[in-house]
Amino acid sequence: MQMVLYADSKYPVREDVDAIHAKQLDQIGKPGTWGTAAQRLAIAQEVRDASYEVGLQERPEKAQPKNNTKLPSVAQEVVRNLTVSPKDFLEASYNKAKKNGLGDEEYVEIVGIVSRITCMDVFARGIGVPLRPLPEAREGEPSRDRPAAAKKEMAWVPTIPNLPEGGEDAKALYGEGYKTYIVRGLSLVPDEVRMHLELEETQYLPMEHIFIPDYQHHEGLTRAQCEIVAGRVSALNECFF
Amino acid sequence: MFLRESGRATNLKINLEALITPTIEIGVPGGKKILDFAEALIGTDRSKLDKTRINLADTIGPAAVSAAAAIAANFSKNDRIANGCGIPTEPKMLKASKDIRANLGLNDFRSAENTFKHFPEER
Repeated sequence: MQMVLYADSKYPVREDVDAIHAKQLDQIGKPGTWGTAAQRLAIAQEVRDASYEVGLQERPEKAQPKNNTKLPSVAQEVVRNLTVSPKDFLEASYNKAKKNGLGDEEYVEIVGIVSRITCMDVFARGIGVPLRPLPEAREGEPSRDRPAAAKKEMAWVPTIPNLPEGGEDAKALYGEGYKTYIVRGLSLVPDEVRMHLELEETQYLPMEHIFIPDYQHHEGLTRAQCEIVAGRVSALNECFF
Repeated sequence: MFLRESGRATNLKINLEALITPTIEIGVPGGKKILDFAEALIGTDRSKLDKTRINLADTIGPAAVSAAAAIAANFSKNDRIANGCGIPTEPKMLKASKDIRANLGLNDFRSAENTFKHFPEER
């Protein structure tokens, strides 16, 4: 029988959201592209510790297994700053991370994990349930696959260009259509794009419907009501895109 | 921008300024309760969050809570991806949002620099 991740929620949770979050939490506990499972879980744990400290999350009453892997201070700083105050995360923050030895590949995987664990944890807080426990670290080595087509475009980090320039890497990750930077930002680590889009299509709406202004994806809110949430959150985070 | 379009499609007169100043009426049914919940969810006052969650459920229904939580969570992710990777906004989107950006003061966000350094004429 399949486990239900949010069985304790007082509010109805869509089955697809439940299933995707269970899958993605599990995926963070596996070796990634540049980080080991233990390192990836340490990033997730650091997101939570930083959030508890400033009151963005509440520490679960029931103690959860703690990952003892220590992140390098440069990684720890990126994780904490991006978690706690994305509006204050500027090009200088990225340049400092690079100067202190963080490679673009590791950096992008960190940004992806911080963003995804924040997403799942904000959802849990929103429906009023404790944060879900992190999984145990699995054995194995990172794949270290760097897409050959990735290059410096307009983002701070290298990205896979759209077709035709992006070639096979672009085709495999984006399909045939043009993709905006919010899709391509993490493309130096293609698995992070896949995971990001999986959450996007479940929690926001399927991308093929984005330009249908009255398309309703959620039972509980109209499209306009959903856009209010999106707009207010992005305004508070001072996100320009 | 999608908010303005979805408002037009459903004959709502939406005041986008309420996204920045939520004391203003936004023009969407249940708008104030939704804005309050979204703000509390990414804030640090747990009792306020609990109160706004109940208000939202009582006003629009229990499914609105999980839907609003899903959207707020999703954009908490997107905002970190955007500001963490330093991505610019595409020219097409910039042109379509010129009036909104000016009216709401979005051009003053520090992350706007990631766009304007590539498209200074759109400032």
